Amino acid sequence: MLEKGKISSSQLTFLIAGFTLGSSLILSPGLVAGHDAWLAVLAGLGSSLLIAFIYTTLAVKFPGKTLVQINDIIFGPYLGKLITIGYLWYFFHLASLVLRNFSDFFVGLIYPETPIIVFLIFITLTCASAVRNGIEVIARTSIILLFVTACATFLTTVLLVKDMEFTNLLPVLDLPLKQFIKASYAATTFPFGETVVFLMVIAFLENTKQAKPSVTLGLILAGILLVVASVRNISVLGVTEPIHTYDSYQAVRLINIGEILTRLEIIVVGNFLAMGFLKISVLYYGTVLGTAQLLNLRSYLPLVLPIGILMVILSILQFESTIENIHFAFDIYPYYVIPFQFGIPLFSLIVAVVRGLPKKAKEGSK
Amino acid sequence: MQKFRKNTVTIIFLLIVMLGITGCWNRRELDTLAFVSGLGIDKAREPGKLQLTAQIIKPGEIKAPEAGGGGMGGSKPYWNISQIGNTVFSTVRAMTLKSNRKLFFPHNEVIIFSQDIAREGVRKYIDFLIRDPEFRRLAWIVVAKDKASEVLETKTELAKLPARNIAELIKARSATSEVSAVNMQEFLTRLMSKTTAPIASLIEVSAKEKTAQLTGTAVFKDDKLVGFLNKTETRGLLWVINEIKSGIITVSCPDGKGKASLEIIQASSKIKPEIKDNDIHITVEVKAEGHLGSQMCLEDLTQIPAWNSLEKRQSEAIRSEVLAALKKARQLNADIFGFGEAVHKKYSRLWKDIEDQWDEFFPNIEVTVKVESKLRRSGLTVKPPRPE
Repeated sequence: MLEKGKISSSQLTFLIAGFTLGSSLILSPGLVAGHDAWLAVLAGLGSSLLIAFIYTTLAVKFPGKTLVQINDIIFGPYLGKLITIGYLWYFFHLASLVLRNFSDFFVGLIYPETPIIVFLIFITLTCASAVRNGIEVIARTSIILLFVTACATFLTTVLLVKDMEFTNLLPVLDLPLKQFIKASYAATTFPFGETVVFLMVIAFLENTKQAKPSVTLGLILAGILLVVASVRNISVLGVTEPIHTYDSYQAVRLINIGEILTRLEIIVVGNFLAMGFLKISVLYYGTVLGTAQLLNLRSYLPLVLPIGILMVILSILQFESTIENIHFAFDIYPYYVIPFQFGIPLFSLIVAVVRGLPKKAKEGSK
Repeated sequence: MQKFRKNTVTIIFLLIVMLGITGCWNRRELDTLAFVSGLGIDKAREPGKLQLTAQIIKPGEIKAPEAGGGGMGGSKPYWNISQIGNTVFSTVRAMTLKSNRKLFFPHNEVIIFSQDIAREGVRKYIDFLIRDPEFRRLAWIVVAKDKASEVLETKTELAKLPARNIAELIKARSATSEVSAVNMQEFLTRLMSKTTAPIASLIEVSAKEKTAQLTGTAVFKDDKLVGFLNKTETRGLLWVINEIKSGIITVSCPDGKGKASLEIIQASSKIKPEIKDNDIHITVEVKAEGHLGSQMCLEDLTQIPAWNSLEKRQSEAIRSEVLAALKKARQLNADIFGFGEAVHKKYSRLWKDIEDQWDEFFPNIEVTVKVESKLRRSGLTVKPPRPE
């Protein structure tokens, strides 16, 4: 066994919630829907629960097996490995994307003169340390970090109540249906659908049967926080919301309670980063563990740093500017993830059912 | 031995990390920064160029005790630095050629546009002020009747900095509710609305005393200044947009022999749009509560009939203020009340047909003003001080 740790179902819930919040705390999902973004997030949550059902059904069918092993069982050693390589690329790429998003956020707003490489390296090192310690440690930190972030989200919302204009949410669904579907779909793929990486993690759940409720609960928890953040941003920023690169950050900047409680954004940014840490760590872990399993290594530890270095390099190389990043995120990413988030999992499940896998059904029944 | 070496490496690594993450890449010490407290934007004499004036706080002077009334005795506690340039950003940077310290904007409290630059449109200047992370959205937007740089040179008695003085004047407006207070975020919200006209506080420099004084509201159409509201009209506007905090309403006593002042203590309002037979109809509902603050007539105003009549006069005064604002807004054809947004929110389907022709609709919209006002208390006395 490459990973000896075990996580409890509540840890999985918090880990999923933290992971899903991840970079969507800074890059709000569903923005295409304008002031109906919060509805798009809700719709995204709804459809992602269906997709998560596919993931968890797969995971429960093959208890204790990670995605890599499941692929091997379902598609055989050759095709399975090919699919695994695809997935590893996706996890790795996504990790480097998130890494770049956070570093851009810090360089763009708070540390304008610091070279981005500093953030890339330090965030990666922190995550590398978490990955080396295994999934159990990441899962444990998630509880603390998520608690703090949830508190921060609610606190900033409360502090902004006096600046909120709830009529900004009206008229409800004031956009062409096509655009709303596009926004909801985008919200499904980012952030909810990205939980596909948890097929690498659910295997270490103490009681695999708990996977379904834990994952669902985690997604709902994250969904609630995202809707709260979305409603907060729209009601505070109104028509000015779409021009902002980071709308949550701008909303929090407006907090002004008697000119004493102001300039709080930096505290909130700390929370954003905590969620980013969770997201990158889980993806990083998935990549490293998956690669080790693919190559039949005895330990994944030697892979942590090399993959981290590659992640940093890819982060730098993939975009020249945030403009390219936004273009990718809005126009390409939603289609790029189709095979990883929907296609392959659904196909895997169908094949598994048709072939009557797993063969040793007795193990799972009791 | 092996363990010892491993520990040493870990500790050294941690030390390096600790040094590295304590701050930013660079450092900015307090004594290398010039704190800007106010920014004025004027038109330069050369065509197409602008003149920026930044009010920089002099930390050494501002603390000086007994300097004699806001820098009258010693040197001024501020330094107004001016620079001409093509864009706001390039001009701000060019100021570092004159100032040995780098201008630092997070503590900037007011942004002042001169009248002539506001008439040409402010959007091109606003862009930098909302894009740059150094600026905060809570700075007040002010239009100077004349030059912005003059406003930053005004004399102050109690405050040390002219910019600070203006910010405090704006904060104190709630005592009268006769001038608008608009921060960058609110201005931007109106600027980005398709129909709602932006507004800003209007400031004038008195010719004799050279002091700054708030005198009403500047009204924009799209991003161009088109006119002003006086104090009465401004309060009319503030009744409608629910921004009234307090203020004094003066009415004549029911017996017609003197005036009574009523202090507003609470107010709220609603804009209710309605579309009937292809006609837009707006109902503005204002609710207000007041105190009897002073009376200059001899009548006993706390008798029920007089009291009721006073209440009615209060409502009537409020109504006339709202109507005055409405008249001016129609004249300027600027939807300062946000009627368009209200219609949009209620009739989102029909709105698409109206949206582009809002300018034609707005001056002719039927508006009903309903005022419901109450007088609650009469202060420490119930009767005027006169022999019975």
